[in-house]
Amino acid sequence: MSAIITASNLRKKYGKQAALDGVTFTVEAGRIVGLIGPNGSGKTTTLKALLGLTQFDGELSVLGMDPRTQRDALMNEVCFIADVAILPKWLKVKDAIDFVEGVHPRFDRSKAEKYLAITKLDPRMKVKAMSKGMVVQLHLALVMAIDAKLLVLDEPTLGLDILYRKQFYQNLLEDYFDENKTIVITTHQIEEVEHILTDLMFIQDGKISLAATMDEVGERFTEVMVEPPFIAAANALQPMTQRTVFGKSIMLFDGVSREQLANFGELRTPSVADLFVATMKGTYA
Amino acid sequence: MKTMKWLIKREMWEHKGMLVWAPAVIAALIAVMALVAATFDKNISINGDGSPSQILSVTLEGKVRTQVVETMAQAYMASSAPVLLVLGVLVFFYCLGALHDERRDRSLLFWKSLPVSDSMTVLSKVLLAAVVAPLITLGIGFVLSLLILFIGAFLLLMHGTNVFGELLLTPDLYLTPLRMLGLIPLYVMWALPTVGWLLMVSSMARSKVFLWAVGTPLVTALLLLWAEKAMHIGINSTWFVSNIVSRLLLSVVPGAWLLFDEAHIAMEHVPHRLPVPQTIFGESWATLGNANVWIGVAAGAAMIAVAIWMRRRREEG
Repeated sequence: MSAIITASNLRKKYGKQAALDGVTFTVEAGRIVGLIGPNGSGKTTTLKALLGLTQFDGELSVLGMDPRTQRDALMNEVCFIADVAILPKWLKVKDAIDFVEGVHPRFDRSKAEKYLAITKLDPRMKVKAMSKGMVVQLHLALVMAIDAKLLVLDEPTLGLDILYRKQFYQNLLEDYFDENKTIVITTHQIEEVEHILTDLMFIQDGKISLAATMDEVGERFTEVMVEPPFIAAANALQPMTQRTVFGKSIMLFDGVSREQLANFGELRTPSVADLFVATMKGTYA
Repeated sequence: MKTMKWLIKREMWEHKGMLVWAPAVIAALIAVMALVAATFDKNISINGDGSPSQILSVTLEGKVRTQVVETMAQAYMASSAPVLLVLGVLVFFYCLGALHDERRDRSLLFWKSLPVSDSMTVLSKVLLAAVVAPLITLGIGFVLSLLILFIGAFLLLMHGTNVFGELLLTPDLYLTPLRMLGLIPLYVMWALPTVGWLLMVSSMARSKVFLWAVGTPLVTALLLLWAEKAMHIGINSTWFVSNIVSRLLLSVVPGAWLLFDEAHIAMEHVPHRLPVPQTIFGESWATLGNANVWIGVAAGAAMIAVAIWMRRRREEG
């Protein structure tokens, strides 16, 4: 597998505030990477850097190109949904399809039309008249019909109801994703993307604090429902966090072998959300 | 080329109301007024104290007739003057919003997700403002002028003189709109400083684009005037106003070049002169001999380059 993105030591300051403070990571082809971080951690700045929408220091190669200087060429291969509801209000569905077909060499009109056919969108409908969810459907229809090597999604489902959100990720996975494509997603709705991710990256204070495949995450992190007699022993292994549910202590361990932990009680693979909370402990303190 | 075609279409979708309907409605209003006036006129001639309309009949013959027809054929495009003035206003506000609106509604991020370069996008907006918009307006103006010309000719007919045949055979009838079409390249060159300035402000200002675009040159002019009067510094603020401020703000008015260039068009009656439209056409192109236009073109191009750079580099929150 080849690396689609190689970032090394990305730095960016807004005034005195460092938005990126030495971000380093790689993304391989054919992965779905979740870039997860609290507000203001540098997520969006990282994505903007990938897309050539911001200037920064450090080395970055996206599909072998530098987004700062080769943005125009890069956009042939990369597609992004920067935010929901950023389609202009006056745009009609049919005009949107015509336009993207006109300017994008990798756009497949029939795909977009096929996808739109299963929605309530009418070709003459204007964005102005659409609900937030419909705007995202239109945007997704346009993006899915583009055969891009890299798709970047920044909070693509923000503000949508759960039906639209589920459908969004389902379409993405079933109709769009294949081994030749790579997707980078940021979102706060971790629970909903968890099952589709192949890789996980946590970003905190402008640094990548965790980068692992989901399989590695499952091996590395273990949650134990510790039986009362073993609490002291479990504490000695330095859990990342400890919380109490129905009188039982639940501890999250990083890199402690499962055999050892099995003695303390029932084992579980932690959810990404729990892991996130544990990793980001003290972010806002 | 294909991308440019779609970018122009895109601008048309967004601004159809402004670029097509606004001049069309104004033209329609003028046409209706002309029609009403014509009908009114007819009523007087027929019903006015019961006298038969034959009394008011005019019979044009010979030299006078030729002259009337000639004047009609040469001057009929003047009816489109209000529409053309509106063009200046439309282009002004179009440019002002061109690079600001997409930032305000964040649709910029959608456009930027497509493989269309910033220079291409900005140039499409320049092209729309300086070429497409004038073409549309000219087209509407032509239809309007023709309509009013025919109303006039019809009125003459009601009064007993049929000039339709001669009118249609007068070359000027066809040459006048062509001459105006031929002035579009000139319009592009003269309008460039204003188009560039407005696009640049549009790409830079976070809000209150109009205030920045109009306020900056005006305040500067006022400061210079104050410096000139109060501190007796040898600044010629009048020169600044007429050469910088007006060129930045008013160059999009069609025909403004005749004012900037202080061209002298012989409007007085001269026997055997060239037709007036021909004179205007010639004089207009003659303004290219003046450095004013070329400095304007250079300044406009530089400001457009800044606008492209801003669109490329500017970050949106």
